[in-house]
Amino acid sequence: MWYQLLIFLPLIAALLDAAGVLAAPYGRAVVLGVLAVGVGAALKRPAFRFTPQFLRSAVISCTAALVTFGLSTKLGLGGVVASALVGLLGAQVLQGRDQLVMYMGSFVGMSSSLRFPAWGPLAVAGLLAGILFELSDELWVGVGGRLGTIAAAAVVVVLAVMGGL
Amino acid sequence: MATFALNLFLGLICGAAGFWLRKHTKLSVVEVSSLLALTAGLVLPRLFSGGDLFALTCTAVSYAVMCSRERCCSYREILAISALCALVIFGGQGVLVGIGGRLGTSAALSVLLYSFGKNGLQLGKARRF
Repeated sequence: MWYQLLIFLPLIAALLDAAGVLAAPYGRAVVLGVLAVGVGAALKRPAFRFTPQFLRSAVISCTAALVTFGLSTKLGLGGVVASALVGLLGAQVLQGRDQLVMYMGSFVGMSSSLRFPAWGPLAVAGLLAGILFELSDELWVGVGGRLGTIAAAAVVVVLAVMGGL
Repeated sequence: MATFALNLFLGLICGAAGFWLRKHTKLSVVEVSSLLALTAGLVLPRLFSGGDLFALTCTAVSYAVMCSRERCCSYREILAISALCALVIFGGQGVLVGIGGRLGTSAALSVLLYSFGKNGLQLGKARRF
């Protein structure tokens, strides 16, 4: 049950944000606490195996996030168009599961440059999203918006650590 | 009020278009969603003064369209989810601003709300008979 917390993290963050306490130290502590409990429970699952797919997903997601962020902020295409272009590219170049990971990474790259003034934290968020995707592979299967939820979880966690919330 | 109604209407159109594409073409879910988002992102901000909000709504709906056939198997269902999604985006404009994945989270919330509502109704009917 605690494993489910991983994917509920953005919804918890949204509630905290609506209450105006997400950026406060205790708001950030709640976000990081939820992540810690969720990841801990995910790692304890009997089905959990650390495979090379973790690294592959992290790299694909990070690349997609950086490309999308570049297209969105440097070329001025905006997040929606940039993410859609990266998603379409991923659908032509990659197969099956990797397409989903690339599309998910593009959601991380839709973040505002006001939230991510530097590229480093965004790259970390992209990597984290890939890892969370693999960790939460049994959660919300078939639910539209699942990829965006995982992307938001990664972004919120990185911003909670770096202080950009 | 006009913005709200147009937002809802465009969300419904986008949801129906996405469901049609999934049903009648061999495009993958990623391609369907990307094409809808690209069209919305390029066209709507140029057509309407509040086009940015409409583009966000249609993009979120395009993520909701990625539902599996088990979760969403008819036009009625996708239209209900699209309407919920449009409401969530409209009502949550000030929440998680600038955070990537916000639209997907809204889409997932809409799908879950619909699923809970549907399951609740079915449970109620089963108890009645």
